[in-house]
Amino acid sequence: MYHKTLIYVFLVCSGLVSVLIVFVWLGGNQVSPLRPICDLRVLDHFVQEARDSEVIMRGCRGGCGVMKSYFVPLTRVDFAVWEHIDVQSQAVEVQTGLSLLVQALSTAKITVSNSPLASTLDNNISNIHSLGQILHSLDLQQARSTVLPDDSAPASSQMQEVSSLPELLQVQSSFLRGKVRLLLSAAPACQRQNS
Amino acid sequence: MRKMRSDRLQFVFMLCLAFVTAGGKSFERKVAQLLQDKTEDPKCFVEGKKDLTCFWEVEKERNLHDRYTFMYSYENEKKMACVVSSLSLRASNKTVLFCKLPQELFFTPLNVQVFRDGQILYNRIFNVENVLLLDPPSNLTVMSSGKEGQLNVSWLPPPLKHMDDSMIYEVRYAVEGSHMGKVEKIKASTTLVLRGLQSDTRYEVWVRVKLDGVAYDGYWSSWTDPVFAVTAPTDMDPLIVLLVLFIGLILCLLSLTVILSHHKFLLKKLWPDIPTPEHKFPGLFTVYKGDFKEWMSQNNGSMWGRSVHVYTEELPSPVEVLSEVSLTNYSTSPREGRKPAEKEEGSERADSGLMGGWREPPHAQWLMEQLRALQENPESFSQSTLLQSHDTYVALNQNSQRVQGDTEQKVDDVFEETLPLQTLFTTAGTSSLSASHSDLGSLPQSSGSGRLSSQSSFEYPNHTWPPKGPGYAYMAVADSGVSMDYSPMSSSSIAELGKLGIYTNEYKNEIFGHKWPFSCQHIESGY
Repeated sequence: MYHKTLIYVFLVCSGLVSVLIVFVWLGGNQVSPLRPICDLRVLDHFVQEARDSEVIMRGCRGGCGVMKSYFVPLTRVDFAVWEHIDVQSQAVEVQTGLSLLVQALSTAKITVSNSPLASTLDNNISNIHSLGQILHSLDLQQARSTVLPDDSAPASSQMQEVSSLPELLQVQSSFLRGKVRLLLSAAPACQRQNS
Repeated sequence: MRKMRSDRLQFVFMLCLAFVTAGGKSFERKVAQLLQDKTEDPKCFVEGKKDLTCFWEVEKERNLHDRYTFMYSYENEKKMACVVSSLSLRASNKTVLFCKLPQELFFTPLNVQVFRDGQILYNRIFNVENVLLLDPPSNLTVMSSGKEGQLNVSWLPPPLKHMDDSMIYEVRYAVEGSHMGKVEKIKASTTLVLRGLQSDTRYEVWVRVKLDGVAYDGYWSSWTDPVFAVTAPTDMDPLIVLLVLFIGLILCLLSLTVILSHHKFLLKKLWPDIPTPEHKFPGLFTVYKGDFKEWMSQNNGSMWGRSVHVYTEELPSPVEVLSEVSLTNYSTSPREGRKPAEKEEGSERADSGLMGGWREPPHAQWLMEQLRALQENPESFSQSTLLQSHDTYVALNQNSQRVQGDTEQKVDDVFEETLPLQTLFTTAGTSSLSASHSDLGSLPQSSGSGRLSSQSSFEYPNHTWPPKGPGYAYMAVADSGVSMDYSPMSSSSIAELGKLGIYTNEYKNEIFGHKWPFSCQHIESGY
């Protein structure tokens, strides 16, 4: 009878331990990164919304913001050069640019009283935040750093100054269509999936 | 060694030349294509990730290069000049000046300016990624998919990294030779299945490509060279085949059932028994064992009647050709004899008009005598008694009654070989009378002598023909319409009668007027 109780206890313990192991394993999996978002249609949607902002801006009469200088990223892409830059550098450039844009848009939105324009600017800002999430899912998010105008040279080489909201919106559109898209289409996480 | 080297160099040079000309051709084609587009001048396009070209049309003249200058500048950069070259388009006989920009920067505004004689001519700002004009897709293959009315189309996109997911295609297809083509747009895929096509037809397929306009934009490329393919022929739907077979089987069974149930009837129709006359001769074979004489002796009169009756049914109606003989040629005796009869008959005729029924004329006896005279005197009779006999309808046989009632009786007389004369006077039926009556009405009644009778017409089969009188011309007409021509028994008499106009030809309704003193008429027996 003593033996029997011992055996019972042993069985219960092993069962519990196995359950624990299972839970730990499951729990461990949860800690792993997000699933990569490789579908470019999301980005295309953002691009369309940025274009909508430009359209609304063109049709805006009154309360369309003030003349102010904004620091925005450089949007130009020379394929010969871009394709030789490694992905991580590209990611840094994109990330920096996106944060610049968010800053500029937020600043601009304060001065806008026209409600359609204001709402579309809100859209753009939230889209850029979503892009950050996407980059994070692709393992491309770098440590966020608030870029200040008086930063070191590397930052300035990747910056330009615009003096009005329409120009700002144009830059946003070009940046999303260009560098951001190129980065996402070339993301290693997505390449692994496709191949 | 030297020779080898020079050969190699030459080969390389030729190869280079070939590439350049090929490239040049495609470049020229693009310029020509874009020239028709309605974009502002200068028209610019980029062929991929590089080769940005701007061109504008000019009038052909000397010193073009000196007059025009081209300046460009990217955002926030200084202006740069570009070398201007000229190109003559062979197809449209136009001249363009173009400039190939050395640097292409995407996603940033580009400003281009054209100066003519120092004066600004054109000024344009655009983004390079919005003017993409690609080469058409390559490796276009079209194959029949096996199913009817379908074709599998596939192609390779232009080799541009980063841009292939932004490309859209247009597939154009048409029946070979026709000008009605259909276009299908397709995104993000380089294969397409064309459906709803005609089966067993040869189709032409073209493809072209363009950027979708989201991230990149541009113009439609030129169409590829057409590729031909034939669709699969229609195959019989197995269900339809099965249904047809099933229905056929059912029909066969039905017809078989019908045939079997009515096989006796059908057999009788298709394979009739050979008719035997046994039933007409009752008892001939059964009682008398084929002994006809005995059978005849037993069944004399009534049998005949019946058989005759039968015979009558099968025989055609007799037709008698009547001829009118001129009175002038008549011999006196018959004529005299005739005259009184004529008078009698004339009145009678007026009354009856030979209409419908015939009645026993009062002068039957007289006619009998005339006929006897004919037998004795064939020639004279032929002239006169013929007529007279034809004047009225006379039945010498006392048994004969009205025609209407008693066709069989008449025929009875006909076949009595002992009474040949009777045959001349019996009629087949009232129908003939009526028919002839109408004809008579239309006949021109010539002089009183013109007793056209030709009313009674009857026909006798050959073997019962009473050929005693030579001068008769008979025409026998079968009820089937076959005409039998019976010439008079003696040709000499014909010759004699010929002048009198006895007519022995066939069987038409003809009225001869003045040529002959009398007219002959052939009456068709209404049968």
